[in-house]
Amino acid sequence: MFLALRDLRRGVRRFMLLGVVIALVALLSTVLSGLATGLVTDGISGLRALPLDRLVFQEGSDATFSRSILRPADLKRFQQVQGVKATPLGASFVNAAPVDGGPSLDLSMFGVAADSFLVERADARAALAGPPGLVLASELQDQGVKVGDRYTVGGSSEEYPVLGFTFAGTYGHTPIAFVSLSTWRQIQYSNPDDDRFSAIAVQGDSPELAAAAADTSTVVLTKTQAYAGSPGFTAETTTMTLIRGFLLVISALVIGAFFTVLTVQRTRQIGLLKAMGASNAYILRDGIGQMAVLVTLATGVGVAVGAALVAVLSRGPAPVELAPRAIATVTLALIGAGILGSLFAFRRITQVEPAIALGVEP
Amino acid sequence: MNHTTTALDVDGVRVAYPDGPDERVVLDSLDLRVAAGEMVVISGESGAGKSTLLTVAGLLRRPDQGEVTVAGTSTSGLSDRQRTTLRRDHIAFVYQSANLLPTLTALEQLELVGHIRGERSGTARARALALLDELDLGGRRNQLPGQLSGGERQRVGIGRAFMAQPTVLIADEPTASLDPERARTVVDLLSGAARERSIATLVVAHDDAPARAATRRLRLAGGTLHEVVEPATDRAAAGSVLGVGARVGTGG
Repeated sequence: MFLALRDLRRGVRRFMLLGVVIALVALLSTVLSGLATGLVTDGISGLRALPLDRLVFQEGSDATFSRSILRPADLKRFQQVQGVKATPLGASFVNAAPVDGGPSLDLSMFGVAADSFLVERADARAALAGPPGLVLASELQDQGVKVGDRYTVGGSSEEYPVLGFTFAGTYGHTPIAFVSLSTWRQIQYSNPDDDRFSAIAVQGDSPELAAAAADTSTVVLTKTQAYAGSPGFTAETTTMTLIRGFLLVISALVIGAFFTVLTVQRTRQIGLLKAMGASNAYILRDGIGQMAVLVTLATGVGVAVGAALVAVLSRGPAPVELAPRAIATVTLALIGAGILGSLFAFRRITQVEPAIALGVEP
Repeated sequence: MNHTTTALDVDGVRVAYPDGPDERVVLDSLDLRVAAGEMVVISGESGAGKSTLLTVAGLLRRPDQGEVTVAGTSTSGLSDRQRTTLRRDHIAFVYQSANLLPTLTALEQLELVGHIRGERSGTARARALALLDELDLGGRRNQLPGQLSGGERQRVGIGRAFMAQPTVLIADEPTASLDPERARTVVDLLSGAARERSIATLVVAHDDAPARAATRRLRLAGGTLHEVVEPATDRAAAGSVLGVGARVGTGG
C-alpha cells in the first residue's frame, strides 16, 4: 500500500467523486435501514412487546390471527407440556365508534385472560378483571381519547368504556386494544361464553411442543416468525430488502466501473511497476488496499451522516428507528460490494504488459 | 555463451511483428553482450527496432527465438513470475521522460524500489537519502514530479535505477528531452555509475551526448547490430568528430 495511500492523499480530487457516491449510497442505505426497522416497529410493536416466546396457530393459517381458530382442547394439550406456560389469545381487527360522535378508531383488539402472564401490570389486570371495557394503546391518548369515553365496537351494540391506557403498541399498523377474553368473544362471536379463540401464547420452550402441535393440528411459531402474519409486514420487509439489495448491486457496479477506468488510466503506470519488478500480487494488493481504504472511509462518513439523520427523523412522525445491527450490516455489505466490484476491475492488472513502460505496444 | 563477466548476453534473438498478412522482422539473429562496467550505446534510425531490443534485453518481452541471459541466468525457460523477480533483482530502467509516478515525492520514488524489493523501510529510506544527496537532489527530496525541472526529474529517474542496485541498467533515450548541459550531467552519471558500480549499461540514443561517453558504440540496422568505427582520438576534443562518425555510420 506504499503507493496506494500516497496516491489517495495527493489525488484527493480524483477520488472525491467516487467517495461522495459511496457515501451517498451508504447514507441512503442507513436511512432505509432506519425506515425498515421503523416500519417493522410501527407494524408489530404491540406483538413484539407481549411477554410471550411462541404463538400457536391453527395449521394453514399463515400466522394470521383472523384465519386461526382454536378450541379449549388445543389449549389443554399445550398446558400439559412441561416447562412452558400457555394461555389463549383472541385477536381481530375492529372499528370502534364513539357513542358521543367524533372520529371512530381502527383497533387491533387482543382478548386476553386477565389473570394470564400476558397482562403484566397490576392495574391493567384489575381493569380487565372488572366490568367489560377497553385498555388502549397509549398512542391513542395523543389523539384525544380519554378514560371514560364510550365506544360501540365491531358489530356489537354494547357500549364499552375506555378503562385506561397502557404501552401496548401496534399490530398491523393498528393500535392495540386489550379486552378480556369474554369481551372479545362477545364482540367477535356475540356470545361471551363462546369457547373459541385465535391462538395460544406460549412462554418458555420445550421439545414436547412439536408433539403437542402434531396432536392438535397446529403450528408453533416463534414470535419473530409470527410477525409475518401482520398485514403488510411481509410486503414491507421484502420491499426494503429489495431496495437495499439493489443499492448494494449499484454500489458494486459503480465501484467496479470507477476502478476499471482508473486501471485503464493507470495502464502505463502498472507497466512501469512491472518493469521495476513488482509482481502482479504486489500491484493487486496496492489496488485492493486503496479501494478498501476509500470505500471504508466513504461508507463510514455516509453511515455516520445517515445515522444522524435517522436520529433526527425519529423524533418526528416518520416511522424511522436507529438500529445499530442493521447499520453494521449495511457497512459490511457495502465494503463487501466494493471488494467484489473492484475485483472485476483489477483482473485487468494481470493483463498489462510490462513492455509498455518503454512505450512499446507488444 | 555464458561468461562470468558478461552481465547481459543476448544471443541469436529474433523478433517479428505481424504486418497485415505478412510479418515484419525487427530483430534477426541479433547478438549483443554487455560486460559489467561497460557502457554500450546503440544508435539507429526510427523504427529500426531499438526499443524492441531494449524490451527483449530488459526481460519485458520474450523474443520469438534466441536466448537472453542476465547475470548468468538463462531466461527462456523461466515463467513470467520468475522473469519478474529476475528483473527486480538485476535490471533497472531509465526512461526518456523519466516516467516518474505523479503522486510520489522524489524521495518516495526511490523508496518505492526498496518497498517492491521487500527491503526494510528504514534501510530503504537511508539508501534513498544517500543517493539523492549524491545526485545533488537532497534539497528537492520532498517535491512531487510536477514541481521538479526536466533535468531534476531525469536525475530522480536515474536515482531510482541506482536504488535497484542493478547488474544491468537499460536507458532509453535518457538525454533526448534535455538541453546539452543537463544531458552531459546525465551521461556523466550513467557512465560514472557503469565504471564505479560495475553496472552493465545499455543506452539507446539518437543524440550525441551518450555516444561521447560510450565504451562501445553499435548501430542497429537491418535487424542486427554493427560496430561503429570510432576514430582513436582524445575523447574531450573528439566530440564533433564522433558526431560526424555517428552520422556517417547512420547514413551508411
